Amino acid sequence: MADPKRLLIVDDNEDILSTFYEFFNSLGYEVKTANDGFAALKVLREKPGFFDCLITDLVMPNISGVGLIAIVKKEYPNLKIIAMTGYGDQPGALASEAEADMVLFKPIDLFKIEEKVSALLGQK
Amino acid sequence: MSTPLIGVSKSMLKIKELINHVANTCLNVLITGETGVGKEVVAQNLFAESSRSHKNFVTINCAALPETLLESELYGYEKGAFTGAHKKRYGKFLTADKGVLFLDEIGDMPLALQSKMLHVLQSGEFSPLGSDQEFKTDAWIIAATNQNLEKSIQNKTFREDLFYRLNIIKIEIPPLRERPEDIPALIEYYFRLYRSEYPNSQGSKPDAETIKRLCAYSWPGNVRELQNCMKKQMVLDSWEKIFEELPAERNSAPPAPLQVDPPGDTPALFSSDHNPERLSIISEFVDLSTSSEKLFEDISLKKIKKLASDKVEKEVITFVLDKVGWNRSKAAKILKVSYKTLLYKMSEFGVHPPVK
Repeated sequence: MADPKRLLIVDDNEDILSTFYEFFNSLGYEVKTANDGFAALKVLREKPGFFDCLITDLVMPNISGVGLIAIVKKEYPNLKIIAMTGYGDQPGALASEAEADMVLFKPIDLFKIEEKVSALLGQK
Repeated sequence: MSTPLIGVSKSMLKIKELINHVANTCLNVLITGETGVGKEVVAQNLFAESSRSHKNFVTINCAALPETLLESELYGYEKGAFTGAHKKRYGKFLTADKGVLFLDEIGDMPLALQSKMLHVLQSGEFSPLGSDQEFKTDAWIIAATNQNLEKSIQNKTFREDLFYRLNIIKIEIPPLRERPEDIPALIEYYFRLYRSEYPNSQGSKPDAETIKRLCAYSWPGNVRELQNCMKKQMVLDSWEKIFEELPAERNSAPPAPLQVDPPGDTPALFSSDHNPERLSIISEFVDLSTSSEKLFEDISLKKIKKLASDKVEKEVITFVLDKVGWNRSKAAKILKVSYKTLLYKMSEFGVHPPVK
């Protein structure tokens, strides 16, 4: 890829974070990670406009994924957002309400997510 | 004027930073922590740093009022809505419009009111009792509780949907015993505050040795208990007396792992039992100082089993986490439980990384 797309991946599970990191990295994406909503918000505010897509878990300490999506949609309306949840319908519904571009339910096939990311970012 | 958030510990600094980052988002906030840790102070600081600070900060304690009164306090009522409603009254939702509505002890809100609250949070609309008119409200909801709401959800005493709607931003305030480095700063702050409130008081400042003792105490009542001690000092001017009045078993720095009740305090039922080891083991899980009737009511093998296994599990979890540098994924693997189970257990047992 001449111009690698930049992803920020947020999850409080370190195993998931590293798996996602390896996977997207190997496909040529430029990947950064954060382990909760607050850390993610700080990264985003440090580099406004840097990222193309945010992939975030929903149930996390301090700033939840839903909170992060609500803040980010207001501050960076162009950033594409994919929400992932393993906690049933409630957080997913709130993420849609907060205008996540897509809500996926765990467990999620990594190749499926990549397809969605690619589609959201208008590649291929 | 709001009380500043006092503290130099890592956890308090992080809370201050979080407040600073989210105060202007006006997203629902849930503040958790033991009684007396300063949940309302955090709420006031959120309000003070937000663009709403010139509006109202309205507090309601959901545990202090009976259900019907709580409902009319929140939503207001029309004249004649019920017996005794002689005139129209505005509710807290309206008073807090464009400002903050602080729902203290939200975990104690009756279920019926929880569903009404959920509706208001979803739609931003409510109608006062006895009125068919819908009012819009733009109150920023900050809720607080000392309960473990995840547990309350399991016990069906708290609505899951309301929990997720409130838990958009969560601020967890650790108990004072987990951040003793905050104690000197709190002492300094409250000493100055009460000195100015009681200018004639002779109460002396604690010396270095006293501060050390105060830092070693476990503060089950958290900052509020510390405040009370500082106030007492203004009147008594004797740290010795204050230490005497602190609950004895927690007063001495390292608590004895096994406590044997002195024979004089042991109820008659147990005075004939001269096996101190047995008594000390039992006393960890059952209050032996109560009457035998009450005691027999309290002894249940199932309950004791749970208490005992919890106690051991907590120690093992802390031990393993400590060994792996608090890497929760590694600890979960070692303990052969799922990551989620470990997180749940950590929160259930109140296991937190040590504050550096």
